Amino acid sequence: MTRQWTGPEVAAIAERLVPGSVDRSTPVACYLRPEKLVEAMGALQAAGETDFVHLTNLCGVDFWDHFEVVYHVQSFVQNAIACIKADVLDRERPALPSVCPVWRGAWMQECETYDLFGIRFEGHPNLHRILLWDGYPGWPLRKDFLSMPGGLQPGLDEFSGTKRRLPPPVKVVE
Amino acid sequence: MSGLIKSEPFTLNIGPQHPSTHGVFRIKVKVDGERIVDAEMVMGYLHRAMEKLAEERTYTQNIPFTDRTDYLASMSNNLGYVLAVEKLAGINVPERGNAIRVIMAELQRIASHCMAVGAFTNDTGAWQTPVMWCFRERERVLDLFEMTSGARLTCNYMRIGGVAFDLPKEFEPATRRLLADLPGFIDEIEGLLVGNEIFLARTRGVGALSAETATNFSLSGPMLRGSGIAWDIRKADPYCGYEKYDFQIPIGYQGDAFDRFIVRLEEMRQSVKIVQQALDALPGGPHSTQVPLALRPPAGEAYARVEGPRGELGYYVVSDEGPSPYRFHIRPPSFINLSALKEMTVGGTVADAIVVLGSIDIVVGEIDR
Repeated sequence: MTRQWTGPEVAAIAERLVPGSVDRSTPVACYLRPEKLVEAMGALQAAGETDFVHLTNLCGVDFWDHFEVVYHVQSFVQNAIACIKADVLDRERPALPSVCPVWRGAWMQECETYDLFGIRFEGHPNLHRILLWDGYPGWPLRKDFLSMPGGLQPGLDEFSGTKRRLPPPVKVVE
Repeated sequence: MSGLIKSEPFTLNIGPQHPSTHGVFRIKVKVDGERIVDAEMVMGYLHRAMEKLAEERTYTQNIPFTDRTDYLASMSNNLGYVLAVEKLAGINVPERGNAIRVIMAELQRIASHCMAVGAFTNDTGAWQTPVMWCFRERERVLDLFEMTSGARLTCNYMRIGGVAFDLPKEFEPATRRLLADLPGFIDEIEGLLVGNEIFLARTRGVGALSAETATNFSLSGPMLRGSGIAWDIRKADPYCGYEKYDFQIPIGYQGDAFDRFIVRLEEMRQSVKIVQQALDALPGGPHSTQVPLALRPPAGEAYARVEGPRGELGYYVVSDEGPSPYRFHIRPPSFINLSALKEMTVGGTVADAIVVLGSIDIVVGEIDR
């Protein structure tokens, strides 16, 4: 069975390897500070005790007031997986350092996150809209992006007590 | 040497409509003479915003979406998604449900690898005969799916808490007949291709990746195992009771297109073994647990992964206690396996690029989502 690193365990090691890199930790995830992100990720990849050689999954989540970028990293030798996150607080100009120097394979997933959330990954070798075309209006996976045409939630009406999750600040895309 | 012929870089489009791209996918290659000096991928022709759509549908309504990402492995996709939701909501699946899931996932792997192997040999120039043989066996697997779920390609068979229907009576004898024939078919394909001089010349040493490069590029599945890393989620992080079955992880040594091909062939043999064991020890009892239709998992997040035919197929689901996922993210294996395409093609010839692309075994529905 793959061992799941808890947030505090990863945080303790990251803080020891790169002092000042940890923002906070929850039972699930360790939150790294953006300015030390690449350094800390590199240290966690190189350190024998963590050995996070494989970046499995990278994606963004929009929480209305901030974004989170989620990294799932794992070690083959130790058979362990960890969840590391970074907060992106600036909604107007969201940016985060790119982890491509650490894992070269991150470039496509970062492009995808940029494409759908508009988070710029600084230091990325070739950041571009990978799925949508250049000049597409808006960032579709943001919560304030136009939802379904007409803002409906098909299929949800039949369940009693379901409401829209949040008041829809619908943005009309011309 | 003064006899070098001067040439200038020339841009060549492979795709979007090209038989070797297995869908609508385009590579802009810059060639100098016959050699590729740069390769740029253009994708998104099939983008359907599934992750956005899924945020507005209930957890159960999202299962058919997962069929349509990787349409060659809908059972595996169903499985990955329902596992993520079950992890999030803490739902247990009855033993029979788990065994049926394993049978379906392994049959799906056989069907998908048949397609991968057949299309790959097509790309190398073994025109039509191997692919027809592969399709012949794949059809029989799809017949089993039709018998069980009513659909051949987009099965929509897994449910949160189990599977949609129990196996029909005629499933077991039909599957046993297929399992009896499959090893002979795999030997046949292997005998046809592995000793073939042209096939070896086209695949040996093409698109080779070292174990370190493959790891650093986040590759998974046959791509990673072809490079010599014995990493299989079914062994490393067993789900649905895979720890009960006896099977091995085939690996390659050179990480080239040939090794990926041979790993796929061997995986089909292992899948046959797994299905046999699962059928022999098929437990009785219910195939599913009762789960409320409007499921509201507790707030939190879950990342569940399965070993799909193309690699690690992960689903990251975030819940805010609502009836639909707050965030629904797919980790598509063939999308991420493509990240090393430039690494593998630059320096080779255009003909090799086709072979490399075939060896990745891309499914464009999954890349673009």
